[in-house]
Amino acid sequence: MKKNLPEFGKIVVPKERAVPFGAVTPAPESCQLLFMTGNWRQKRPVIDDKKCTRCLTCYMVCPDACWTFNEEEDRMQWNPSFCKGCQLCTHECPSEALTATPELDFEGGVVRLAKPF
Amino acid sequence: MAKMQEITVWTRGVVMDKEGRDIANAFARAAAMEGKHVQSFDDYEDLPDRVNVTTRKYIRISDEEIAMKYIYAVEHPDAVVVAEESIIKGIDILRGMKEGGLLLINSVRDIDYLLKFIPNAGVLGAVATVDAKGISGVSTIDFSGSEGGVDSAGIGAGIAAPIVGALAKVTGMAKKENLAKVVADVSGMERGYKEVKVKKLKPRAEYAWSA
Repeated sequence: MKKNLPEFGKIVVPKERAVPFGAVTPAPESCQLLFMTGNWRQKRPVIDDKKCTRCLTCYMVCPDACWTFNEEEDRMQWNPSFCKGCQLCTHECPSEALTATPELDFEGGVVRLAKPF
Repeated sequence: MAKMQEITVWTRGVVMDKEGRDIANAFARAAAMEGKHVQSFDDYEDLPDRVNVTTRKYIRISDEEIAMKYIYAVEHPDAVVVAEESIIKGIDILRGMKEGGLLLINSVRDIDYLLKFIPNAGVLGAVATVDAKGISGVSTIDFSGSEGGVDSAGIGAGIAAPIVGALAKVTGMAKKENLAKVVADVSGMERGYKEVKVKKLKPRAEYAWSA
């Protein structure tokens, strides 16, 4: 089996080392749209940028990597599509910059699926 | 011609799973006391062992024997119960609903505010809200995730009692006297029956499910 790879030129894969069909699935670039968990959320974390010290504790504790540091704006950014409202970040925030607020107080951040999965 | 009526109960896994199941079981049992044919069951596809995930429970009530014995899902409900208010933001709860259906939400919020989150609300004939958490004082009574295996709270404690009371008032499918024999929290059920708020709407056919 011969393959053309842009940086490596033409490579030859021996038949016993070739990966069978279906063994590899494409990895999502930044988020997995097939498994949105934003509709699990009852309360969302609301950040107070004045209290936030950019210590990245929320980034460390979030199980779904919903908190990222936006270097251009110099603030933490929250992803509403995948935050399932576990409130780990609000509990662990050392400067108490995060507060859990009921989801229906906000009109945005709607993740509406046809079925639970 | 007797009509079979179907209800879908939306609830959240683990934290409100028992409450959702209690709503389905208690309401079906109360309707059975009037001599009706009933079924109540959980959805087989959902994953109720995950905290906060949306899960479904179903009720079928009919005057005649229910023929669809092995169909374990309600695709076209006559009424939808939402046991936790923020579910209306995460799920298309009115999918497949018949024209003039009923929606009951456990919420203290204004009905018009809640309707903003439901784009296909035109199918509804009425919307009702009941403050079940305010009446019962707790939102979770069983956090074990055992799906009722080690439960000693009884059927219809917590938020389930006001919700079944409100559901009996707005649908009329079960009687309050029969529910009082079934649920553990009788006073909560009666408060839910009294304090439910209803708003009638004019259903529009273009939103409804049609065969």
